[in-house]
Amino acid sequence: MVLYAFIKGIFREALAKKILLTIFGFFTLIIVLLIFAITNSTVDGLQMMLESKSEGGLKEAVMMLQSGIVSGIPMFMLIASMLIITSSFVPDMLKKGHIDLILSKPISRTKIIIGHFMAGIILVFVSFLFLLGIIWLIVSLKTGYWNVNFLYSILWFTLIFAVLYSAVILIGILSRSSILTIIINLLLFFPVSWLLYLANRYFESDQKGIVFGPVAEALLKFLYQILPKAWNMQDMCDAYVTHSAITSYQPLISSLLFMAVMLSVSIWYFNKKDY
Amino acid sequence: MNVIEINGITKNYPAKKFSGDKIKALDNVSFKVGSGEIFGLLGPNGAGKTTLVKILLGITFSSAGKATIFEKPVTDVNIKRKIGYLPENHQYPNYLTGEQVIDYFGRLSGLSKSDLDKTTYKYLKIVGMDEWGTTKIKKYSKGMMQRLGLAQAMISNPDLIFLDEPTDGVDPIGRKEIRDVLLELKNQGKTIFLNSHLLSEIELICDRVAILNKGALIKEGSVEDITTTGNRYIFNTSDLADDMMNKLLMEYKSTVNGRNEFACNVNSVEDVNKIIDYLRSSGILIHGVNREKSSLESMFINLIEQKN
Repeated sequence: MVLYAFIKGIFREALAKKILLTIFGFFTLIIVLLIFAITNSTVDGLQMMLESKSEGGLKEAVMMLQSGIVSGIPMFMLIASMLIITSSFVPDMLKKGHIDLILSKPISRTKIIIGHFMAGIILVFVSFLFLLGIIWLIVSLKTGYWNVNFLYSILWFTLIFAVLYSAVILIGILSRSSILTIIINLLLFFPVSWLLYLANRYFESDQKGIVFGPVAEALLKFLYQILPKAWNMQDMCDAYVTHSAITSYQPLISSLLFMAVMLSVSIWYFNKKDY
Repeated sequence: MNVIEINGITKNYPAKKFSGDKIKALDNVSFKVGSGEIFGLLGPNGAGKTTLVKILLGITFSSAGKATIFEKPVTDVNIKRKIGYLPENHQYPNYLTGEQVIDYFGRLSGLSKSDLDKTTYKYLKIVGMDEWGTTKIKKYSKGMMQRLGLAQAMISNPDLIFLDEPTDGVDPIGRKEIRDVLLELKNQGKTIFLNSHLLSEIELICDRVAILNKGALIKEGSVEDITTTGNRYIFNTSDLADDMMNKLLMEYKSTVNGRNEFACNVNSVEDVNKIIDYLRSSGILIHGVNREKSSLESMFINLIEQKN
């Protein structure tokens, strides 16, 4: 009942602020562009190019196309826009006169946080389901190859969003500012997480062009371990889509741990805070 | 049975961030509120009234002391099923309609869709807002928002309702209507805890009041007891003769206000009866005998001035 109330509340907010209209309008535009872009000649050309190199053929052409759709830049743009959209939900809830009412209801503070977290995730999941689901349908209908694994990207993207959204919740509670929440999370998502991802790949590779001092290297490795690994998770999503093997689930596990820590700290702080 | 019991509640706030200095918002406050009462909490701005209500609702935590509602600690979330609340300066998302506000907070109170279908318009009608249910609240006046807030506080049919300045911004007719709603709730056996600056209203509807000043409880009791100034009685009679007026002045140390009214200080009820006997034996008709009272407002102002 409580979760339903929060979900309904967040969907109403998204509808009233024209957020849903913007999301679905933008996604529809992408879908329409894709319908025109994927012509039979495009697929044939891609197929011929691949057949000249390997035995993959149509399946590989489709997977390559789908891999491109869920690659780093689209993933960043989609999730960053969702983080911006959802960043105001917690600060809005904490407004004086509104939070008093919510806290006067028979709901534990823990449920309030979990409810808002889940409601945000469901909103984003529905949006991704719409976009990626229809893209999958179009690509499959046009090419005749139904790569079911592409649908896992909906879950992967939602999971990446959930990990970063847990930080949105915490910063929202601490700062009560949507702007600050957006800035910190985008910084965490793009430069910080991305540079740490690149640094880690560099440390794991054999080629060592740049020499880091031992302290700097240890610090970068430490930060890489504790911060969310959105970009590694995107690699894992790509591996699912292209039917490749996932070498390690460690980035997923540590990102989920990050999410658990963020939510736990949010719940702890929210439970002891006077409003 | 006491619905609310407050024992030694103290609340300290840090004076500044990262400093050890503290501001005492509430200082060892204790009182009880009985079942079916309309209880008024009075005090000047910054006295700690809202802080106390927030502690009772688990919105703010006390630094010391203990409070119970329905004999359970205020930290127990489940007691809130029996509580309704209208905060001061309440804010609802302005994109909602009145009906959607009731639906949202009703669901948070644990009501199902079928419960809400039955009750939403019932309560909107009680507060005179049934014709505005489908209008977005950004078009509401302050008074309409207060009425909606009251409907929101009543939606789960709670046994205890906290109202913080419920008539703020409401016109005189609307205030009368809200008072009537509160009296009807009292008749249904509900307990109402009222925070208000409007002392004349408190006086009209409250059974008991408590007065806070600078975080401390300075007076508590029934409105009758608090507004009664002492053992001074006012007598309204038929025309008094000059010799009688002189006797009343000399013997009973009365203050005569014309031929038909005099007031005097007495030590006991026996003294009142002696005066009545004297008047009756002299053939004077007694129209009324009343213990002198001050208004709640004048008593409140005197009390706060004395303490300050």
